[in-house]
Amino acid sequence: MLLASGLTIIFGILNVPNFAQGHLYMVAAYLGFYMVMSYATNYWLALVLATFALGILGLIVYFLVFYPIRNAPEVNLFVAAMALLMILEGGALYLFGTETKWFLIPWSRRVLTLGELSLQVQRLIVIAGTVVVMMALWVFIKKTALGAALEATAQHREGALLCGIKVSRISAMAFVVGTALAGIAGVLIGPAVLLMPTMGMGPLLVAFSAIIFGGLGSIAGAVLGALLLGVVESLASGYISATYSLIVVFGIMIVTLLFRPKGLLGREVWRP
Amino acid sequence: MHGNPGRDAMALLEVSNLSKAFGGLMAVSGLTFSVEQGQLVSIIGPNGAGKTTLFNLLTGIYRPSTGSIVFDGVDITGCKPYQSARHGIGRTFQRTMVFQAETVLDNVTIGQSLHVKTGVWAAIARTRGARREEEKVREKARAILAFVGLADAGERPAGNLTEEAQKRLSIAMVLATDPKLLLLDEPTGGVNLEEIGGLIELVKKVQRSGIAVCLIEHKMRMVMSMSDRIIVLNYGTNIAEGTPAEVASNKEVIKAYLGARRVA
Amino acid sequence: MKIFSPVRIGWSLALILAILLPLVLGEYLTSILLLIAIWSIMAVSLNLLYGYTGQLSLGHSAFLGIGAYALGLIAVKLHIGFWPAFFASTAISGLAGFLIGIPALKLRGPYFVLVTLGFAAIVGVIVLAWVDFTGGANGLAGMPRPNPIPLPWGAELRFDSLRSMYYFTLFFLVLIAAICHRLVHSLIGRTFLAISHDENLAESLGINTMQKKLISFTISAMFSGVAGALYASYNVVISPDLAYFARGMDVLACLIVGGAGTMAGPIVGTFVMTAIPEGLQIVPYLKTLINGIILLLFIIFLPAGITGGFKAFFYRWGHAWKSGKGRNGIA
Repeated sequence: MLLASGLTIIFGILNVPNFAQGHLYMVAAYLGFYMVMSYATNYWLALVLATFALGILGLIVYFLVFYPIRNAPEVNLFVAAMALLMILEGGALYLFGTETKWFLIPWSRRVLTLGELSLQVQRLIVIAGTVVVMMALWVFIKKTALGAALEATAQHREGALLCGIKVSRISAMAFVVGTALAGIAGVLIGPAVLLMPTMGMGPLLVAFSAIIFGGLGSIAGAVLGALLLGVVESLASGYISATYSLIVVFGIMIVTLLFRPKGLLGREVWRP
Repeated sequence: MHGNPGRDAMALLEVSNLSKAFGGLMAVSGLTFSVEQGQLVSIIGPNGAGKTTLFNLLTGIYRPSTGSIVFDGVDITGCKPYQSARHGIGRTFQRTMVFQAETVLDNVTIGQSLHVKTGVWAAIARTRGARREEEKVREKARAILAFVGLADAGERPAGNLTEEAQKRLSIAMVLATDPKLLLLDEPTGGVNLEEIGGLIELVKKVQRSGIAVCLIEHKMRMVMSMSDRIIVLNYGTNIAEGTPAEVASNKEVIKAYLGARRVA
Repeated sequence: MKIFSPVRIGWSLALILAILLPLVLGEYLTSILLLIAIWSIMAVSLNLLYGYTGQLSLGHSAFLGIGAYALGLIAVKLHIGFWPAFFASTAISGLAGFLIGIPALKLRGPYFVLVTLGFAAIVGVIVLAWVDFTGGANGLAGMPRPNPIPLPWGAELRFDSLRSMYYFTLFFLVLIAAICHRLVHSLIGRTFLAISHDENLAESLGINTMQKKLISFTISAMFSGVAGALYASYNVVISPDLAYFARGMDVLACLIVGGAGTMAGPIVGTFVMTAIPEGLQIVPYLKTLINGIILLLFIIFLPAGITGGFKAFFYRWGHAWKSGKGRNGIA
């Protein structure tokens, strides 16, 4: 879900589908892992650090990659995002190898049981964390000037320019926020799942599906979409299998695109 | 065929009760008018009155919320853009749209694509039929270029042309589709004063060749002198319709414009 | 085109080299050339879709995998000879392209790219998970080589040796490149280019863009399937990583670095991106990483690729164009 909102922000404002977002999340997870496991950092501290690190990474990427080519044909931006993905994946494969790693923290094994349901503590933390971040995001967008500027640029780039909003700065910020969100997601979710260099892909597709299902450009839509799809995925994982659940989610996205491209809460259909 | 809405002949284009809503905003509402064969009808109105939206509706870019469009006897309401082109409606855009990276000749060649009969297999095999069609298409492209006055620009990249030449090219491209009705969206926008005359002549030439023309323009003198009929739009509905003389003296029109622009 | 234009001479020379090299090079180098040929086929097919019709598909690895597995499954499990299986697998890849293209091509821009990526991921997942059918992570073995073709004077064309497989592959590369060339320079090809420049404008001129895109997509998928089948036949063993999406990206990187939108681009790019790492003996894991870095550098600084850069260099005095026909560098 965090991934989805991050994606919405970046995508809505820059019209750049950051394919690498999934892998950025993976990077964050690994970062957190190494910090905690190898350097015995406090988990929460690692969370904050990783988020910062990813935000900075996002800034660097923005200025090195997307800013210089912002006026090129749209496809070039896609290709650049794809190249980023390749770099991150290749790099991760090389640095971390292909075996999976367990991201262990003090309470990893602990499970909370509420009657019939047993939940990993970490998953609860993820949910709680998500809620907190979502609320913070909402406050930011709705209540601060900067947030308003962000939303304005997302909805109408030229209009925002005319109002004197520094679009390039906003874009950079959007990117940073997006990657930082990925960072949070990485460290939060990392302990709950296996760490693999390819772990970014699944969530990425789900996140995109959520955005499309929930509607473009609207954060509420992304959240709603993610919620609904998350439920679907869990159900599917339970009843069919984990791998096929991905197909189900993806199938929903395809159906949405075919019959109702606006999604549930989105704005314009994509017509460049 | 000038001026009188011939009630005995069926109109080329009949629009009835056309409207389009975007969310809560009615861009166009209750529009009803018709265009006869070979007529030149101008559509005028203040900015935002819905003129380009009307064109978008006629060419299938937008789907009407209500109403119908009948062209040459066929109901084309809600068809896709390429279908409206195949029925015989051609259209240019306010922002000149040509294929910048292709040569001028190729641009017009592409314009004929909808008439091309060569299939994929024949194209790969380069059959005699395929080659003959290629020649035919090139010939016709040269003829059209000559018609619009761009005969010697054939091999140049379209992006190199002046604004005025590009407007001619976009008209040439649309002519290549063999339209019966040509929708021109501000063909003289952004063009120098000296060059406007040439474009006006071209439009008249197109009309003389039997193609009906629908023009969106702001230049009053031009509109008044060229048009068989004028339709005035404001806030998405037509507030007046008639010959230039009728429209010029219409109180509603004058009020809408608050001092009509009399440029060129 | 004049008979002795530089372009024609260049192609003829390349062809002659391609035919003669294996006769002097050893086994290892010939096998590299063979792989280059196979990936070139895929790059050329992607070029049709991306370079000439402007649609960026991240999902063609799916067709590669489908082609390979179709050949394998039909030949091995149904015990049919090579040739029928080969044609069947080509047809199946084309069909898959058609079916996937229909929903995918309704979308534009990033949505299309994403959906193709999704398809690739899903095909990859299916291949891995459907163990009964595809052998799962262990892959399939026993891919057939082409059956011997009887020649009129009593001899036989056998395909047991590496060299024969190389020429077999080369034959298809030339054939497919020729087909694409004809297609692109035909009137239909003009339509593809129009769509790649400005789809809305093309549509307003009466071009049924959906149909044309679908044609391009299907043909491109079909040829990628051929590449997959050829790989299967050469390698005798196939595994699910053939359908892994990153492979599609690798080929795309080759295409773009070489120069999309030109006929030579995909082949040059594949050659460069394959030969150099081999020459430097780079570990496979690094391959995607390096491809990504190179791609990133190119897309920022030289989007038209190697051939584009060449053209700009040689034709600088002529036109105001930034590079040749194709997706990038358009004014």
